[in-house]
Amino acid sequence: MENILLRDNVADLEGYFACGGYKPLKKALTAGPAAVIEEVKKSGLRGRGGAGFPAGLKWSFIPRDAQGPRYLVCNADEGEPGTFKDRELMIKNPHALIEGMAIAAFAIGASHGYIYIRGEFFAETEILEKAIAAARAKGFIGKNILGSGFNFELFVHRGAGAYICGEETALLESLEGFKGQPRLKPPFPAVKGLFGGPTIINNVETLAAVPAIIEHGGDWYAAIGVGKSTGTKLFCVSGPVNKPGVYELPLGVPFKDFLEKNCGGMKEGKKLKAVIPGGSSTPVLTAAEAMAVKLDYESLAAAGSMLGSGAVIIIDESQCMVKLLQVLARFYHHESCGQCTPCREGCGWIEKILNRLEAGKGSVKDIDTLYSVADSMLGRTICPLADAMAMPAMSFVTKFRSEFEAHAAGKCCE
Amino acid sequence: MPFLTDEFKEKAARLCAKYPRKDAALIPLLLELQKEKGFVAEDAMDALAKFLELPYARVKGVVTFYTMFNREPVGKYHLQVCRNISCHMAGAPDILAHLKGKLGIAEGETTRDGLFTLSTVECLGACGAAPVMQVNDDYFESLTVEKLNTVLDDLKHGRLRARGL
Amino acid sequence: MPKLTIDGKTIEVAKGTTLLEAAQQLGVYIPRYCYHPRLSVSGNCRMCLVEVEKAPKLVTACSTEAAEGMTVRTDSEKVKAARKDVLEFLLINHPLDCPICDQAGECGLQDYYMEYSLKKSRFSREDKVRRGKRRPLGPNLVLDNERCILCTRCVRFCAEVTKTSELEVMERADHSFIDLKEGKALDNGYTLNIADICPVGAWTSRDFRFKQRVWFLKKTPTVCLGCATGCQIEAHHNDNTIYRIMPRPNAETNTWLCDQGRMTYKAVQAGDRLSKGVIRNGVIDLEPALREAATRIDAAHSAAAVAVLGSPWLSVEDNAALARLAKDAIKTESFCFDLAAEQGIKDGILINKDAAPNTAGVALVKAAHGGISLGELASRLASGKIKVLVTEARAAAFLKPVLASAKPLLIVFATNRAQIPPEAYATLAYASYFETPGTFVNYQGLRRTTEPAVNAREGVKPLWTLVSKLAAYSGASLKLDSPEDALKGIDFK
Repeated sequence: MENILLRDNVADLEGYFACGGYKPLKKALTAGPAAVIEEVKKSGLRGRGGAGFPAGLKWSFIPRDAQGPRYLVCNADEGEPGTFKDRELMIKNPHALIEGMAIAAFAIGASHGYIYIRGEFFAETEILEKAIAAARAKGFIGKNILGSGFNFELFVHRGAGAYICGEETALLESLEGFKGQPRLKPPFPAVKGLFGGPTIINNVETLAAVPAIIEHGGDWYAAIGVGKSTGTKLFCVSGPVNKPGVYELPLGVPFKDFLEKNCGGMKEGKKLKAVIPGGSSTPVLTAAEAMAVKLDYESLAAAGSMLGSGAVIIIDESQCMVKLLQVLARFYHHESCGQCTPCREGCGWIEKILNRLEAGKGSVKDIDTLYSVADSMLGRTICPLADAMAMPAMSFVTKFRSEFEAHAAGKCCE
Repeated sequence: MPFLTDEFKEKAARLCAKYPRKDAALIPLLLELQKEKGFVAEDAMDALAKFLELPYARVKGVVTFYTMFNREPVGKYHLQVCRNISCHMAGAPDILAHLKGKLGIAEGETTRDGLFTLSTVECLGACGAAPVMQVNDDYFESLTVEKLNTVLDDLKHGRLRARGL
Repeated sequence: MPKLTIDGKTIEVAKGTTLLEAAQQLGVYIPRYCYHPRLSVSGNCRMCLVEVEKAPKLVTACSTEAAEGMTVRTDSEKVKAARKDVLEFLLINHPLDCPICDQAGECGLQDYYMEYSLKKSRFSREDKVRRGKRRPLGPNLVLDNERCILCTRCVRFCAEVTKTSELEVMERADHSFIDLKEGKALDNGYTLNIADICPVGAWTSRDFRFKQRVWFLKKTPTVCLGCATGCQIEAHHNDNTIYRIMPRPNAETNTWLCDQGRMTYKAVQAGDRLSKGVIRNGVIDLEPALREAATRIDAAHSAAAVAVLGSPWLSVEDNAALARLAKDAIKTESFCFDLAAEQGIKDGILINKDAAPNTAGVALVKAAHGGISLGELASRLASGKIKVLVTEARAAAFLKPVLASAKPLLIVFATNRAQIPPEAYATLAYASYFETPGTFVNYQGLRRTTEPAVNAREGVKPLWTLVSKLAAYSGASLKLDSPEDALKGIDFK
């Protein structure tokens, strides 16, 4: 099928316009906010940032009688290891995001929007700023959009290097000029979010899918994909495959096909050992598990993992699982915001145990401690970063225990 | 001379106007300051705190929280090598080792001529083109040792001007 | 008014009540570090996790509002395991230097470890994160970041109570730590509260450090006499020595205590503490000093030549005794208990515009016993008719300009040498209100009585007994056998 998001020749406004761009915005403005939300609900579009929460439902959480300004925030703080789809989308199709935001803002009654983009994405920031300026010049952003009376100001806000800001309330803190430390929930952002106002936060890919849904209808979108996993998803594949990159596919594609057809198979005929299917925080799958799974929310959950951000990390036989988990633990230790106890202390502890095991100085007891430390972090923190450390740790140890034991015995790898 | 230039203050006014509360511009303003001076010094934090009418500790807390803020001067080219999982599998350790050897510095150090500072960073969000290195504001992707040598040579001779310099 | 069940007990609470507060109302204690009733909820320590029926995960009791029909368990296996795990996490990077830690005995980590954990450490010593130790930060505090559990109570205190925002958590993850601007002193007038609310040994008081193990301390509830606010406090003492003053939080006046108030105990055991009488500069025993004072009063030839001035630094009892001395023993009309002062909190927290503790109490004595105005007393002094003035040492300052010119013979009561005005002829030592009960009326009109924490030095007596003796030496009996006698006729309403 034809791509909805990753399209060629739409990077600038002229190209986007030539393909029917900003017509959905006009349609939405005519249809009214309730109809837009209804259409998005009908489409079954789910959050593409990782959690997979239905977007239309999220939008409807803003209290009807809420006073004061409302905000729409786009989460472009793409930082989950393995994930690079939003970057590609922003480069190739920035106007889909901008138009999606204008439509979403209209639907929820937001007068201001911010795109929170990770600070390292300097070139992408420029692209977005240029695109917004172009859209503003044509009256798609700003006051009285297309004569509808609807006003929407859109700004790009750069982060400054903190993975945690991808968590939506940490993102809000950061956007307000604070350290990116997640907030306690409730209250949820839809009730009390940015600057205390009702706020909806959506991922780049989620928002960019909105114009097409408005253009073709929710039913059309819902017909793509499988079951509750509707529409297309950007899959970004990294690791030893012949064609790493970002692919837009209907949800529900078998991993096996994806690997062989889209990714061009394993590089240099290497043998697949494991797959992290949805970004570094999702539980790892063995090669056998991966080859049997379909790439959609439900199938991956049934397989004990998650679709996450759609970041497929391919691991071949030459890789040491202890080393890879150590790399991940170093990352989570580095990125823990330090606010709440289990994550602050647990991430560091896990890394230290792995450092010991990796150096061949660990013991079998260390493996058990590692698992139990991860287990005691799970579900006990303010935000999911602790879980993001614990889930891969537990799955690595469970599924590749022999490698950990070999390390404990001082063997393995080098 | 006041620490914050008039030019900066003008830019700051524009940035602050994007938000209903001007302290929301703290991070963008720190990034601006860093762009001017290469790093965020104590007196920069002080000046910015006063400018935004914020407690100094809030500013310092923010600066120490976000990894992109350099708290010490860095070289003309800040080489930031990604070492997270995809880059690791694609040979980031070799890239890093090569840079260390070639530049004769360890992580966190700057070459004597002030040209290069070497850092490691966590995922840069360009995993499909691993291994990746960021130099100042630009990404260099799908690196190999040969490619790295060319990049270093070009940077040294000013043939490849990194953005923002 | 949601009704909920906690550990099988049902309670109805006001809307907005948290699970932690609701449990407290039922007498169910939920352990906590970051939660403090007077600070914003942070939810970071995760010690107060409880199980709520149908909730997928444990929730923090400090931040979760009670809802209708909620069933909460604070004693389930899941909750117990969570507490154990959180404690283990908090302790892995802790230095475990209890033997040299001043917090030992009142440490949240020690207490909860005994109560909820008793687990063996699985963390290797060499892996511990090292942080800054023993850093004096300002005049009153020492910070040991290695002991810190990053509960941020101190950060929130400075942001929300003193609104000075000096402190912040710097860096992130397990290498984060509390800090303030380099070279800056933490000195906002309320800093010792930080040592109180710090649940561990990270913040300790420079004044109190290493003076006494807390388990030896006895606690006496009393009142701060540092200003007219009249905060409720607790004097901590052992072996007849006071070691520190802590606030006794109450709804009427104070949760906290200012740094100045904390130091009021120092005068009790200061080097210049008086235990005898002073005539000019010579120390003599109290009895001869009293006799000398009485002789001087008698020698004034007429009662009208003697004046008595009350003091806002003295208790109602002692002021009333002075009024009785003037009226019933000396029989002078020249007595004054007219010492009105502007009152009210001046810093938005606790410190009063009126630096004296009992201006309102003196007004009650005036209401009961009458007397002349301060202006009238000053003009009588200026006219030279008054030869002898009896008052409390600090109160003499109310008449400072006229004292210098009129030069009456000045008889004062004082606890410390530093209080004695240069014009004093005779000084009589009396027991401090850490040593004797006294009634004070704070700026809100609340009557509060000090409770003796320590014994006065041998021979040092409450002021009202000295007054009674002075009267006796002059041949009059005031019939003051107890402080209550002095309060006769005083209407506290």
